[in-house]
Amino acid sequence: MKDRVWMLLAGATLALGASVASAHHSFAAVYNMQQPITVKGTIVEVRLTNPHSWFYLDVKNDAGQVERWAFEAGTPSGMIRNGYKSSVIKQGEEVTITGFQARDPSSHIGMLRELVMADGTKFGLFGPQEGPNAR
Amino acid sequence: MHESVAPRTTLHLVGMIACLLAAPVLAQDSASSKPGPAPRMADGHPDLSGVWWGGADIGARGSRPPAARDPNAVTYASLYQPWAVEKAKTLSDKDDPTLRCVGTAFGTLNVRMWNVGAVGQIVATPKLVVLLSETFHDYQLIPTDGRPHRDDQPPTYRGDAVGRWDGDTFVVDVTNFTDDTWLSAEGRVSFHSDALRIVERYRRVDAETLEIEATVEDPKVLTGPWKVPKQTLRLAPFDALLTLDCASDEADAMIRSASQPK
Repeated sequence: MKDRVWMLLAGATLALGASVASAHHSFAAVYNMQQPITVKGTIVEVRLTNPHSWFYLDVKNDAGQVERWAFEAGTPSGMIRNGYKSSVIKQGEEVTITGFQARDPSSHIGMLRELVMADGTKFGLFGPQEGPNAR
Repeated sequence: MHESVAPRTTLHLVGMIACLLAAPVLAQDSASSKPGPAPRMADGHPDLSGVWWGGADIGARGSRPPAARDPNAVTYASLYQPWAVEKAKTLSDKDDPTLRCVGTAFGTLNVRMWNVGAVGQIVATPKLVVLLSETFHDYQLIPTDGRPHRDDQPPTYRGDAVGRWDGDTFVVDVTNFTDDTWLSAEGRVSFHSDALRIVERYRRVDAETLEIEATVEDPKVLTGPWKVPKQTLRLAPFDALLTLDCASDEADAMIRSASQPK
């Protein structure tokens, strides 16, 4: 598994789960906060839609096949007012996303915790992690 | 040495006196920075117009803890009739209509104007008040000219509203809901019937503060009215909501996941 690295974490994941409790649906109901995941791939599309934004990316699995993954982030209005712009992360960008796997392991969806671009720029659940309004 | 200390002490004393003299001035400045009075419309009623939020976006620094999460507050579901209690046991996150971009009948954070979100906008005129929500891109028209509820309006997710002024308080009566939404979201089971009725009281306390009280009735489902905890909203530092679509492309996968044993 060179492109997907599964890790086990403990308390910190529970804390994160609690911190996003005021989102539009229960993340903990859909995603397993005990099952962290790291995925490296190429951005296909970023959809700034309600109630939550989605980051779509293509990821090569161990067999060299491309799998389409979708990671759910925060509400787009919050991200945009936090300084995020559609032009920041473009199609074709190489990114690494860490987050949490869906409770249905056959679904290639996850909750985004952190996105790191090739130049090291980081984004969190609600967009930029730097700047006056960063979360 | 003494000669050099004395002037320093004198300077300290002068500084302290200056601070004491300045204190009332600072207090006055602080007082003058208080929000001004609520603006008024041409007909003399308070103007409710503005973008209203709790002080920050969800997840932002300074975002307020939702009143809906007060563990001591009486919740809507706690008033379910026995049959509704049993029905509620069969429902969970996977059944939440908002997963498919169907908004709520009321609001996730107990603010109807926000629907599923934490910000909303009011556009007020003497004869019509319009509520706009950002997350689910919906609106509500509230006539204030004394007309009754429409009789040609089919039931809807958000109901039919009429408004009136009770002094400086704007009272809104909402009826004619469908029964296929929940009152809230985030997996909190809060179904209702088509007998749902919501009465809200809006009061613009000053230029920057809006208070909303609401009562929710549903005689088919509840044992009595639910008095919603008073919500205090702040005027947002921007004058227009964003226009954003709702998408449910991943709803099936999310529902499958939410259906997995925990």
